[in-house]
Amino acid sequence: SGGTGALAQWVLVELQGEVEPRQSGTLAGSLLGDLHYTCEGVPVLIVGHHILYGKVVQLEKPFAVLVKRGGAPQPSSSGPHGHYTVTALIKTKLLFKTRPKPIITHVPKKV
Amino acid sequence: ADMRSRAEVDATLQTAKLNPEELLPTVHCLSFGPQAGGGECCLLQLEPGLCAELEAGHSLVIRGEKDEHAVLCSKDKTYDMKIADTSNMLLFVPGCKTPEELNTDPVSCNIIHSQIAGFSHNYWELRRCRPKLKKLRKLLLEDPYDGPDSQKDETSTFSKYTTEDLLSVIQASEEEILHQLQVIDACKIEGYWRILDFDYEMKLLNHVTQLIDSESWPLSKVPLCACLEELGSLEPREMIEHILVSYGRKYVDAGEVFFEMREDKICRAIGQMLLQNAVKFNLSEFEEVWQQSVPEGMTTRLDQLQGLALVDKSSRPETIFLLKVEDLPEDNQERFNSLFGIREKWTEVDITPYIQDLCAEKQTVGALLTKYARSSMLNGVKVYNSRRPVS
Repeated sequence: SGGTGALAQWVLVELQGEVEPRQSGTLAGSLLGDLHYTCEGVPVLIVGHHILYGKVVQLEKPFAVLVKRGGAPQPSSSGPHGHYTVTALIKTKLLFKTRPKPIITHVPKKV
Repeated sequence: ADMRSRAEVDATLQTAKLNPEELLPTVHCLSFGPQAGGGECCLLQLEPGLCAELEAGHSLVIRGEKDEHAVLCSKDKTYDMKIADTSNMLLFVPGCKTPEELNTDPVSCNIIHSQIAGFSHNYWELRRCRPKLKKLRKLLLEDPYDGPDSQKDETSTFSKYTTEDLLSVIQASEEEILHQLQVIDACKIEGYWRILDFDYEMKLLNHVTQLIDSESWPLSKVPLCACLEELGSLEPREMIEHILVSYGRKYVDAGEVFFEMREDKICRAIGQMLLQNAVKFNLSEFEEVWQQSVPEGMTTRLDQLQGLALVDKSSRPETIFLLKVEDLPEDNQERFNSLFGIREKWTEVDITPYIQDLCAEKQTVGALLTKYARSSMLNGVKVYNSRRPVS
């Protein structure tokens, strides 16, 4: 259901590939990275030793974020069953599609 | 978890050789929230109009039993749900500001700690579909109402359904369900939606048509009050009014309620009553009996039986038999299989009443025939047959 009061507006961040925890274990609680914007509004994400450049996209079809009451909504072929609450709407995404630029911290000098 | 400090952020910028002067002052430090990996959140892509509905505070409901494909219902529309996979990671971030927001409403601090609420590789996609209403009729036919003198209601073990009950088991929006209840002439008896047993319905209709005849009322001006008065001793008043509403058009004239009786619907019902009694009939015999059975002043026409009966022009003599569209499968392919099982080749005129209800928004019968049938010429007439080999 939509619920009472204004719905929160969240943002979608779309990254290529997987994000894995640095230390083994769950992702929960761990840092992803720093998100900056250039003065022109280009999003820049620093993840580990990589710099990702992206762009702000206004979604033609916004998303609703559904939270299942009492357990995870396992998307199965027959569909989600159970009660859901719409927690937030997403109308904007930050799309990072460019290949990450590695951050080179030490350049060996040529002898 | 330790929160990053501005100093640490600046140090990272330096290592990355990014010039802070080319960046907006505010940084978002993204970390995964405590629930992030739990998979409790999922994404639903919204079709036009749904976003506005949610923002207006309306609900969307996902409906479906374990053995059904789930559908999403807004107030008045139904959508199929399908999983769309992406090779990318989608992270959902609350409290993350866009550059536009930062520029129009600058934050006082220059560091925002945003917790990623969840992430996914897929999302639900929606596609508008026809509401799945066949089940509605099936449920209500489990226990048709056959009058207050019915023997069975006392010992009836069948479920009866309120509006709420129907909403929880029918895969359609509330408006679509309520509209369909009207279309099938369902009525509410003691809070439950009921369909009338056909014989009982004909009995009620007969009371009314006999009264119209004996009072010599014009078919276009049947007074409600007089009907209730004259027939109230024979049947419950609600049932008399219900039959008038089902088979007539209500209007008010000089403060009094009248009904304009619907000739086509009455003729159709009487046609059904006659056709139920045998597998098939000699067409001309049927047409004669049928015309004699309808109220004085009404004229029968075969097109009144569209979607109810089918004429076999190839038999000698020509015959007619009952074939109700509502008894046929709801799924497109299954419907066509069933129709081609009944008759190998169909003209467009004959098949249209039996596939009309399959048309999606803006879809034509022609488009359906192109997709599910193959056409050929037979005696100079275009006919359609199955795409599959007939066994």
